[in-house]
Amino acid sequence: MKLAAVDWIFIVWYFILSIGIGLYYSKRAGKSISEYFLSGRSLPWWLLGTSMVATTFSSDTPLAVTGIVIKDGVSGNWLWWNFMLGGALTVLFFAHLWRRAEVVTEVEFIDIRYSGRPARFLRGFKALYLGIPVSCITFGWVTLAMVKIIQITFGTSGVTALAVCLGLTVFYTALSGLWGVVATDMLLFGVAMAGSIILSVVSVEKAGGIGALVEAVRAAGAGAGKDYLSVFPPLGQALPLAFFVALFVQWWAVYYPGAEPGGGGWIAQRMLAGKSSKHAVQGTLWFTIAHYVIRPWPWILTALAALVVLPGIAAGSAGEMEGAYPRMIAFLPKGVAGIVIASLFAAFMSTIESIVNLSGSFLLNDFYRPFIRKNASEKHYVAASRVLVLVVSLLGAGFSYVLGSVKMGWQLVMELSAGIGLVLLLRWYWWRINAWSEIAALSASAATAVYLKIFPENAFVRWLGSALEGAGFRVDAWGVSILLIVAVTTAVWIAVTFLTKPDDPQKLLAFYRKVRPGGFWGPVARMNGAAYRLQAAPFAGWGLAVLMILFLLLGLGKIIFMEWGAGAAYLAAGGLAALLLAKVIAKIDWEGRR
Amino acid sequence: MKKEYRPMALGFWGVGLPLLLFGILYCRTAAQRVTVFLLAAVFFLVGTLICRAKQ
Repeated sequence: MKLAAVDWIFIVWYFILSIGIGLYYSKRAGKSISEYFLSGRSLPWWLLGTSMVATTFSSDTPLAVTGIVIKDGVSGNWLWWNFMLGGALTVLFFAHLWRRAEVVTEVEFIDIRYSGRPARFLRGFKALYLGIPVSCITFGWVTLAMVKIIQITFGTSGVTALAVCLGLTVFYTALSGLWGVVATDMLLFGVAMAGSIILSVVSVEKAGGIGALVEAVRAAGAGAGKDYLSVFPPLGQALPLAFFVALFVQWWAVYYPGAEPGGGGWIAQRMLAGKSSKHAVQGTLWFTIAHYVIRPWPWILTALAALVVLPGIAAGSAGEMEGAYPRMIAFLPKGVAGIVIASLFAAFMSTIESIVNLSGSFLLNDFYRPFIRKNASEKHYVAASRVLVLVVSLLGAGFSYVLGSVKMGWQLVMELSAGIGLVLLLRWYWWRINAWSEIAALSASAATAVYLKIFPENAFVRWLGSALEGAGFRVDAWGVSILLIVAVTTAVWIAVTFLTKPDDPQKLLAFYRKVRPGGFWGPVARMNGAAYRLQAAPFAGWGLAVLMILFLLLGLGKIIFMEWGAGAAYLAAGGLAALLLAKVIAKIDWEGRR
Repeated sequence: MKKEYRPMALGFWGVGLPLLLFGILYCRTAAQRVTVFLLAAVFFLVGTLICRAKQ
C-alpha cells in the first residue's frame, strides 16, 4: 500500500503532538522517584483510568480480536471478556487497598505484607522476573504485532519507520516518567479509538452496509456450521471447555498483564498514582467500562466485514486471520488512511511506554535500591531509572526477533503463571498467607506448565480429558492444561502455607493498620484492639458492575446491528445497573475508617 | 487552564482540527463524513473538558 503525501502529513503531525506532550513533563519527572514512577500520586480518576485502557489497547489487540472473530465468531471473545469479572472485583475490593498501601510498585507490596528472608528473596525475584522476562515477552509480542502490521501495510520499507517510532517513544518515556506516559496516553487512546472506528465504518461500507453485512455473515456461518454473530456459544451443543474455563476459572486464577487478579502491573501502578482511594476506584471502574464496552465493537465489525470482503479468509491460517485487520486498511480513501495508520502507531506507543516505565520501576525500586545501592540521592535514582528504561527497551526489542508469534508470547505468560491468582487475591484478606505461599504458587505454576509442555499427553491429561468429556464438555488442550495447572498450584500453596510459620505479628499488625483490609485477620485484629469490617456493599457492587458491563456491551452490539428494540432494552438495563452501582459506590467507606 | 493539563488539551484540539479538515477534503461518502465530523467534535469536546478540569 502506498500512502499519499497528505497521509504522511497527518502521521508526522500526530508524532509531533504526542512526543511534544511527553517531553513537556520531563522536568517534573526528574524531581524524585515518586514523581518519575507515580506522578507524585496526583492523578485524577479520568486520567489514570484512560491511561489503563490506552495501555491495554495495543497494536496486537485488534489483530487478535479479528483472528478470534473470523475463527470462532463474536462469542470467541469470551477468551478475554471473562476478565470483566476479575476487573469488577479489582474495582470493588482491591483498588482502594492498593492506594492505601502507598507502595511505589506492586512488588514493594511484598515488603509491607511479609517478613523475613523469604520476603526479601520474593521481592528481589519478582522484581527481576516481572522487570526482565515478563516485560521483554510483552514488549516482544507488541513489537512483533506492529512489525506484521507494517509489513502488510507498507512492505518491508515500513520497518525503518517502526524503528524510528520505537526510538522516539523510548526517548520521551525515559525522560518524562509516568506523567508523560499518562498524558500522552490520553491522546493516544483517543487517536487509537478514532482510527478503529473509521476503519470499521469503511469496512462495513465495503461489505455493502450493515444489513448486507449481517446477511452475508449469516450465510457464511450457515455454510460453515457456525453462528458468527452470536455473543454466547450456541445452546444445545456440548459446552466448549475453553468457554467454561474462561468464565469460571481464568479470571481469578491467571496472572495476565492488564488483567491481574486483584490488580497488578500497570493497573496497580496507576491505582497507586491516584489522588486518593476514591479516585483509584473510580478510575479503575472507568477503565473496566472502556476496556470491555467501548473498545471491542469497531474491531468486531471490521473482522466481520473481512469475512465477507476477503474471500477464503475463514479457511486461512491463524496468522492470515489476524492479518485481515491491516489488510482492510487498503480500502481506506486517501487522507483517511493516514489517520488509521497513526492510530495503530498510537496503540503501539501507549503500550510500549507503559511497559518500559513499569519494568524500570520494578528494577529500580525493588532490586537496585534495596539490594545494590541503598541510600543514594533521589537524583541518582531518577538517572538510574532512565538508564534502566533504556536497557529494558533494548532487551525487549531484541526479544521480538526471537519470539515466534504473538500468540506464543501470550500463551507463555499465561501458562507460566496460570495458578497464582488466588494467592494474590487472598493475601489482602487472610492473615495466614505468607511469602512462602507466593513462592510455592509461582514455583508450582511454572513447574506444572513446563511439565505439560514437555509431556502434553500424560496419564493425568488423558484422565481429566475423558472425565470432562463424560461430563458433557467439548474438550480442548488449553482448557485441560489450565485446569490442571490451577489445581496443582492451589493444592501446593495451601499445603505450604499451613506447613510454614505465619509472618511476624508486628509486620502483620503494621500492614493491617495501614491498609485496613477487613476479612480474615482474627489474631491480628485482636492485637489491634479493633477489627476492620469487610463491608457487604462491595459484594452487591460487584454483581451490579458485571451486569452493567454485560448489558452495555450487548446493548451497543444490538444497536450497531440495528436491532433497536433489544438494543434499547439492554442499554436501559445497563443504565439501571449503573445507577444502582453509583448508589452503592457512594455508600462504601473507601478510606476504611469504620 | 491547569498547567499540568495544558498539553493534553492542546493535543486533543490539535488532532480534532485536521480530522475536521480531512473529513471535508477526503471523505467520499456521507457515512465517512459523519463519522469523521463526530470524532472531530468528540476531540474538541474532550480537549475543552480537560481544559476546564480542576486539579
